[in-house]
Amino acid sequence: QDMPTLRLSSVVSDNDIRAEAFAKIAESVTDTFDMQVFNGATLVAQGSEMTAIQRGNLEMGLIAPQTIAEQIPEWSIVTSAYLFDDADHLQATFDSDVGGELISLAEEAGVHVLAPVYFGTRHVNLAPEAEVMTPEDLDGITMRMPGGDAWQFLGEAIGANPTPLAYAEVYTALQTGAIDGQDNPLPNDYNMKFYEVTSQIVLTGHLVGFDVLAIGAELWDSFTPEQQETLQTAVDEAIAESTQRHLDREAELVQFFKDEGLEVYEPDRDAFREFAQQKYLESEFAESWPEGMVDRINALTE
Amino acid sequence: MSWEFGVTVAVTVFTAVIGLPIGHAMLASSVFYLLMQGQDMSIAFEQMLTGLYGSYVLLAIPLFIFAADLMNVGSLSDRLLDFCRALVGRFRGGMGHVNVVSSLIFSGMSGSAIADAVGMGRIIINLMTKDGRYPGSYAGAITAASAIIGPIIPPSIPMVLYALVSDTSIGFLFLGGVGPGLVLGVMIMAMNAWQARIHDYPVEDPVPVRDLPRVTLRAVPALLMPVILLVGIYGGVTTPTEAAALAALYAFLVSTLLYRSVSLRMAYETVRQSAKSTAAVGFLIAGALAFNYVVTIEQVPSVIRDALGDTELNRVTFLLIVNAILLGLGCLLEANAILLVIVPIFLPTAVSLGIDPVHFGVIVVVNTMIGLATPPYGLLLFVVTSITKSPIRETIRHLLPFLAIMIAGLAMITFVPEIVLWLPRLYGYNG
Amino acid sequence: MTTASPFVRRLRAIADAVPAILLAAMFVCFIIQVFMRYVIDSPVGWTVEVCVIAWLWILLWGQSVSAEETDEIRFDIVYGSVRPEVRRWFRVVFSLLLVGIYLWSLPALWDYVTFMKIQETSYLDIPFSWVYSAALVFSAVSILRYLWIFWNAARNRDSGLGTADDIGRKDFSE
Ligand code: NA
Ligand code: NA
Repeated sequence: QDMPTLRLSSVVSDNDIRAEAFAKIAESVTDTFDMQVFNGATLVAQGSEMTAIQRGNLEMGLIAPQTIAEQIPEWSIVTSAYLFDDADHLQATFDSDVGGELISLAEEAGVHVLAPVYFGTRHVNLAPEAEVMTPEDLDGITMRMPGGDAWQFLGEAIGANPTPLAYAEVYTALQTGAIDGQDNPLPNDYNMKFYEVTSQIVLTGHLVGFDVLAIGAELWDSFTPEQQETLQTAVDEAIAESTQRHLDREAELVQFFKDEGLEVYEPDRDAFREFAQQKYLESEFAESWPEGMVDRINALTE
Repeated sequence: MSWEFGVTVAVTVFTAVIGLPIGHAMLASSVFYLLMQGQDMSIAFEQMLTGLYGSYVLLAIPLFIFAADLMNVGSLSDRLLDFCRALVGRFRGGMGHVNVVSSLIFSGMSGSAIADAVGMGRIIINLMTKDGRYPGSYAGAITAASAIIGPIIPPSIPMVLYALVSDTSIGFLFLGGVGPGLVLGVMIMAMNAWQARIHDYPVEDPVPVRDLPRVTLRAVPALLMPVILLVGIYGGVTTPTEAAALAALYAFLVSTLLYRSVSLRMAYETVRQSAKSTAAVGFLIAGALAFNYVVTIEQVPSVIRDALGDTELNRVTFLLIVNAILLGLGCLLEANAILLVIVPIFLPTAVSLGIDPVHFGVIVVVNTMIGLATPPYGLLLFVVTSITKSPIRETIRHLLPFLAIMIAGLAMITFVPEIVLWLPRLYGYNG
Repeated sequence: MTTASPFVRRLRAIADAVPAILLAAMFVCFIIQVFMRYVIDSPVGWTVEVCVIAWLWILLWGQSVSAEETDEIRFDIVYGSVRPEVRRWFRVVFSLLLVGIYLWSLPALWDYVTFMKIQETSYLDIPFSWVYSAALVFSAVSILRYLWIFWNAARNRDSGLGTADDIGRKDFSE
């Protein structure tokens, strides 16, 4: 009974697709590891998973790339708008040399990346009815974005007026008109019932949303190759399935939202992409990006 | 659950009973737990720090405290008190009724019971205890009881969290809370009328009708406060959290510019006092954040799940058990943690027993809110005693009848689903 | 109540001023936030950061440096009803326990707070080691305060009468 204990902390709720994936991982490694999953940010507060792992107080965490970027500025590249086209592009990047560079930067900081965990592509969701085709149409639109300057900049990069607001307050704020809109992947719009208080979803696809499933680097290195393989295989299988389920869910939800009476349409994505990439390149964030990495990631779409 | 957990609970209770301030008792025993487990002792502090750093919604608390204190020094409270006395002073327990009604109105603003208690509660407590008409402990008890209504009537943060984990409509949940909120309000008022008779709380000489316009006019700025807040929120100017700041700004402007009753010196004194109260209340939350880690790491929820897993239940016993467990957990866990972690455990069973998820959600929210006021560990209880500065034992004594009636109300809501569901159904909910 | 020297009173005033100024700053930030979003239509985010930092410091500073025993929220059912002699012993026990635990954990806390310099706040780029140093102040000052409480209780000087009885009187005379 000297199986290593792996405590995983995540912010997803217990009935989330990702929570099911974690449960599945725990289930398939049960002969090798005592893996305990804590969802709902009950074990470690949102955003402090990385430091908890670095200090050896947590074995595994679902870490937002924005959190990693706070310590490793190079990582801010993967939090920028219109970098990845879709979940495949995301996975391909992490499988490539570019991904390898980012992963080894994290490794040096004491965090071993097991997998990127896709949870949907972010789209703009608005209460006002005016049609949005270009970033200029979002001018003057007050849009809730998660707190932190990287997130707020993302809002600016698509032409909106970003404002931070607690996730739990968004529904009421949309209802009362304190904010005009918010951005989230479709499954989140569904889970948080934003469709009840908004009129349209603009399929901007401005950010491929993902977190990083990670484990303490030192702990990982202490495992035998067999243990490593057991865990990695379980993760790869469960996350691949989770990604597919998210993609299916997103496709399904477009129809659902239409049935609920929302306008769901695609804007001029090229206009958005051009506007956003310009904004990013002029910003302080781009300064920390490794030379030529954007181009190398772009090249991976073919 | 480990033996260390048992020891930790024992240490918390022991140190709190012999008089260590509760925040310290929870924080120190969490550190002690980590020490026994051979873990990094800084985790308890880390939990406290990261939890507080991420608690944006709680920021309404200091601002509501500040607004209430400004109303008191700025004579807004006095004018409001004269008005209330003129209106309800002749009835026994009149101010208690004012307390409940104002909670019902203000619950339309805040989604958090603690913010309700420190906001409107603080003002009304001061009105009730001025001139010794009501003991502070009674004022505190009825404030705690009526603050429970806050998150039951929309908007409500606990309901948003429930909707997230249960896949129900927030809109219908909000509507579902209205009926129970009103029912509980009426029940608390009935209990207040009875208690006022038992304790023989004083009645005022009736104010002559010809004085009413004058008294009302004097109170207009204070009476405008809730109007401004509701317009601020429902007009889309502020979020509920920010509304607290708007309230403070309004109280500040009225008392300095209109009444000229607040000097710079007094303003500073008010900020100083508000900061002190904020620290006292906030530290309770800080201690609870540290202690929460212990409860989580001990996997108390899955222990419950396993215990329930192999019992055959019918609808009534299931609801009774859920209510009992939630009330019990209210002693240990923070309300949000209960909603996010415990609800998913019960929900599948509830649905399979044919319990409507909106109905179940309202039951759960009412339950966790009652848990905030139940001794021994009840955040609301501590918050109101920190306002009234009366002994906890006295407050609990006065609170018990109210808790009894709240639990009766909970039973009613549990077994008469129509109280919850009539309004959502009216708006097209088919459940 | 003991009378304090002018020097002590000045220290007290300074200790109290810190949370007061922070609360005022929080208030102003919230107003700016609403004003910028609703009136100017150009929302800002840094105000939230100032507010949470202020909130953290108000709590931890307020419950240590500027704390007075009457402000602390305690469970007084037993504590308030026992004889003064027993209460004095209660004070000896709980203060000793608290000092012991906080002292024992102080190195670990130091380690954590200094470690957090690797992360900075989002808008103001303040290292978290500075933000969270409030906990070091809190722990160190609490240790000293409770040593003082222990010392007075052990020397038979103070049985906490000034707290429980004050509170009790207030309930019925206010
Ligand atoms: Na409410
Ligand atoms: Na409780």
